[in-house]
Amino acid sequence: MKKIVVEGLKYRYPLTAELALNDVSFEIEKGEFIGIIGRNLAGKSTLCQALMGLVPHFYKGAYGGSVTVDGLNVAQTEICELARKVGLVFQNPFTQVSGSKMTVYEELAFGLENLGVPRAEMMPRIESAMALLGIERFGKRNPFDLSGGQMQRMAIASVIAMAPDIIVLDEPTSQLDPQGSEEVFQAIQALSRQGMTVIMVEHKMEKIARYSDRVMLLDHGRLVDFDTPERVFSRDDLAQYGIAAPIFARICQGLGIRTPQTGLYPMTLDDAYDQVVNWHE
Amino acid sequence: MKALSLYQDNGTLIHRVDPISKLLYIAAAIFIPVVLTGFTAGLAMLGLSLMLLVLARVLRKVVPLIGFSMLVLISVVIIQGLFYAGNRQVMFALGGVHFYREGLLFSAAICVRVLNILCAFALLVLTTRPSDLIESLVRQGLSPHFGYVLSSVLQIIPQMTGTMETITDAQRSRGMETEGSLMVRLRAFLPLIGPVVMNSLVSTRERSLALEVRAFSSRAQKTFLNEERVSTSNRVIKIVLLAAMAAAVAWRVVS
Amino acid sequence: MKNSMWSLKLSTSALVLIPAAVGINYIGKLFAGLLKLPLWLDAIGTVLAAMLAGPVVGAICGAINNVIYGLTMDPISFIYGLTSIGIGLSVGVLAHRGRITGIGSAVVVGLIAAVVSTVISTPINIGFWGGQTGNVWGDLVFAWMAAHHFPVWMSSTVDEFIVDVPDKIATVIVAYGIFKGLPQKMTILFRHDSQTEQL
Ligand SMILES: Nc1ncnc2c1ncn2[C@@H]1O[C@H](COP(=O)(O)OP(=O)(O)OP(=O)(O)O)[C@@H](O)[C@H]1O
Ligand SMILES: [Mg+2]
Repeated sequence: MKKIVVEGLKYRYPLTAELALNDVSFEIEKGEFIGIIGRNLAGKSTLCQALMGLVPHFYKGAYGGSVTVDGLNVAQTEICELARKVGLVFQNPFTQVSGSKMTVYEELAFGLENLGVPRAEMMPRIESAMALLGIERFGKRNPFDLSGGQMQRMAIASVIAMAPDIIVLDEPTSQLDPQGSEEVFQAIQALSRQGMTVIMVEHKMEKIARYSDRVMLLDHGRLVDFDTPERVFSRDDLAQYGIAAPIFARICQGLGIRTPQTGLYPMTLDDAYDQVVNWHE
Repeated sequence: MKALSLYQDNGTLIHRVDPISKLLYIAAAIFIPVVLTGFTAGLAMLGLSLMLLVLARVLRKVVPLIGFSMLVLISVVIIQGLFYAGNRQVMFALGGVHFYREGLLFSAAICVRVLNILCAFALLVLTTRPSDLIESLVRQGLSPHFGYVLSSVLQIIPQMTGTMETITDAQRSRGMETEGSLMVRLRAFLPLIGPVVMNSLVSTRERSLALEVRAFSSRAQKTFLNEERVSTSNRVIKIVLLAAMAAAVAWRVVS
Repeated sequence: MKNSMWSLKLSTSALVLIPAAVGINYIGKLFAGLLKLPLWLDAIGTVLAAMLAGPVVGAICGAINNVIYGLTMDPISFIYGLTSIGIGLSVGVLAHRGRITGIGSAVVVGLIAAVVSTVISTPINIGFWGGQTGNVWGDLVFAWMAAHHFPVWMSSTVDEFIVDVPDKIATVIVAYGIFKGLPQKMTILFRHDSQTEQL
């Protein structure tokens, strides 16, 4: 089932001359885990916001083509309607706090109150989202007293509590240490396995290679490639797009080791290990 | 971080009265003396408010709340006592200046009126958590958007004062003068507030985006995480207050 | 243009602007006190909001500002909310008619705001305090005029006006300075006439 269909999407922010998104088309199936990569200012955040209707409804500007989410044409659907289907976690965790709630627990309830979720249903949802992100301990804390990493977890949990079908995460682990990033990726993967469609912008290529089903490469507002991590990271023109392949792929590339079946470089530590062992035999 | 609030969490009986009843009490405290005119009604309401403040164990906290008004009231007594247009009869003389009976009575009426209103408000402000007040108002039909704005102000002010302290220290250590002649101090004003102001305005965009994705503009009937407290005693309080106001009107009409 | 200026349907951006503006009012007042300036400077945020988003948002900022002051500092503020509403409305209308183009016109707008403020505050001052404002300088003039048998309404108006004029002029100038320094990318969010263009 096609969850998201984007056709010829073009977008320009107000007061700017260049297109932030230029003729982007792709389709995403229900339950897929999609990684989005690209250098700074490639248009990743803009694309994320286009899936939620913030582009164009919030910013206005100039818009062309179409984005269809779960059968809804985004350009004709209000953001609050889309918020029932799509959850968006922004890049900067510090500005994602509602700013009207005194505790983390209440902060998670904010979206649910707005959606009109009954009180009895609210609490189990909030508690399971907090447990998933490992922030149960902070329930009574003031959101502004959290560290960057904790705030980032809270931002993700706030969106997960709203139980969207599709979750879009824009660099969700920027404030987390390696251990914390890994935990968050595991949590998101768990949701993905339950059937949630995941779209994630991330600069940590090793993680993208390991967790995504497909990877989308953006550059200058254009869609350069949209394929399996092996194929995308085996491209020999990655440097041109400001991307460095995952470290294991680069090592194997240096050694000339390919997975025999596909002719592509191994992406993860385990794959690389297998191929290196084979190569030595 | 603490939200801006004068709330004193003493957990007395008064604290458990619902915010709407307290608002109604303020209305009665203002309305009844206006209807009945004269000193007695005002003094009686003031006495009642003071008694309730004692019951709520917040009487001492009233002082800072009414401090500024007290200063103004003192100056009102002096100025009216000396210069009130209707002044005829000298009441007493102090160091060669005459205080008049009419002016002092006029200012006494002002004092009773102002103190009465202040104490009625103090009862609400000192014994109600602002978030509870806002939530009650939203349940009573205040737009949730305004509810959001009110709670957000209560959080934003302590945050901004926090940022401001950092900036003041930074500017001082860079050698900006914050003391001296009026010109020097005036010139210090903009560089001091500029950064905080810019910062808070620029972050409004990201804050709006964050609210949008949390379905802030949704027209669905809003629900509440906290349970609504309904009790018969609160209903009785409201009925009594409304009855008192009606009685005052009736009294005025009859007599 | 006229219709959109008075639109009562507030965008999320406009709603989020209100707490920021009230915070700015607070910071202004605090710094004016800290620097011992003889001005209040407690309406900079209201004036900025009015310039950015028009009279309706300006008026709401004024009202909410005084509600919050009333709840957290001085209950008497509630009543003076009317004055704040007047300031927000008048500056918002003038700004959206394009009347604030430089420092010179900012002074004029400040003067108009002072007149509006005086007209609304004076009856409150008379009804509440017998005519005084609570500002030392203004009240000294009030006492002098009362001693010389001027009518109360006149002494009270003068008391309020001489305090308001420098204060509101300074407020509008500061707000205008900040407004000019804001990135267009941000100010455009509050315009009532933006539309999505088709590509
Ligand atoms: N609010 C805005 N107004 C105008 N232009 C914008 C705005 N936000 C982004 N842009 C422009 O749109 C283009 C794409 O930016 P976008 O933020 O989508 O990139 P990104 O891939 O997310 O970058 P990063 O990795 O730095 O987060 C850039 O040229 C940027 O300058
Ligand atoms: Mg980005």
